[in-house]
Amino acid sequence: MHTESDEDLVKRIASGDRLAMKVLFSRHQVRVYRFVLRLVRDETLAEDVIGDVFMDLWRQADRFEGRASVATWLLAIARNKAWSQLRKRRDAALDDDYAANLEDESDGPEIVLQKQDKGLAIRACLERLSAEHREVVDLVYYHETSVEETARIVGIPENTVKTRLFHARKKLGEMLKAAGIDRGWP
Amino acid sequence: MTDSVASDPKRRELEELLPFYANGRLAAADGARIEAALATDADLAARLEIIRDDMAETVLLNEQLGAPSPRALDRLMAGIEAQAQPAPLLARATDGLGKGFIGWLGGLLAAQAPRRLAYAGACAAALIVLQGVAITGLALRDAGGGYRTASAPGSHATERYVLLSFAPEARAGEIAAFFKRFDASVVDGPRANGFFKVRVGDASLSDAQVDAIAARMKAESGIVSFVAAAP
Repeated sequence: MHTESDEDLVKRIASGDRLAMKVLFSRHQVRVYRFVLRLVRDETLAEDVIGDVFMDLWRQADRFEGRASVATWLLAIARNKAWSQLRKRRDAALDDDYAANLEDESDGPEIVLQKQDKGLAIRACLERLSAEHREVVDLVYYHETSVEETARIVGIPENTVKTRLFHARKKLGEMLKAAGIDRGWP
Repeated sequence: MTDSVASDPKRRELEELLPFYANGRLAAADGARIEAALATDADLAARLEIIRDDMAETVLLNEQLGAPSPRALDRLMAGIEAQAQPAPLLARATDGLGKGFIGWLGGLLAAQAPRRLAYAGACAAALIVLQGVAITGLALRDAGGGYRTASAPGSHATERYVLLSFAPEARAGEIAAFFKRFDASVVDGPRANGFFKVRVGDASLSDAQVDAIAARMKAESGIVSFVAAAP
């Protein structure tokens, strides 16, 4: 069966094709939603944001130049909108504080329970990374983006992508160590 | 404890590429460099195992997040209907007519600021509605005053409507919430002038009630630029 490429769908959308819009939405909605939800941590807000993302796509489809993939383009729009919401709520600072204070919670019952399952502990710590660290981890590990794509989506230089991910991984390891799971690094 | 990998610039550079080696998004040449290093560097190989663990848990965490509700697409499509693209319509119009009057008009409109265009459009639409009301009034007076539908004498409308246009800066989410607040739905449009016919209730609503709804809608000037009761 022939599957129309994202780029072809965007061309159809640029000419006002609503069916193409539905197909593209169905194809990308889940990943964009999850990316946004991991940042804003509010399901209703995440749905609103993806509505805005695809509305932007509808309005700007004729400006798509194909220099990046449609998925990268969507994630970049989504990222900007999600961070705009985060800035409004001033949650980013709270996230950082929460991550910084995590070591104080290392002996809490939640962490003790997590020691029984390394996977559960890793997921708990992934949740507690700062929003900046979460987004690069999610992009590279879940959305399988390259260095260049991650840089384009986040709007930072490629070298910064690599160092930011390094520090996110290091932070994750430190959190796990504080929770009693030593993986040998850091 | 000193990080022996991080303190060696060459190993650090390779280490920072490991996540992209693990997700399969590294260029072939870099991938070959990583594989050569992994064969002899146990520390690097251990880091790769950690990355693969974290990657698996990140995927699991994201997959557990579920998906947006079916309403998300409905709201998006309602928003799209409410904000139909003017550019493709104009493009289609000019396709068949060359660069004549439509081309000139398109150029003129394109040179205007969006807000000025919106105000001009709203004024033009208001004028058209007023003309319509006047002509309808004249026609009814000529017919002896009684209201008759064209299709079936004695029958009457079962729903009440308003005609409205949206403010250029209104967002999809705001428009969707607006419809929900008024329990309203689009039944026709967008028309060429950007107007929508919107159902606001059933036939039990009096003219005064429809006018009151229209007035409440009009008060939401950030979302709506023009509202009037419609037949």
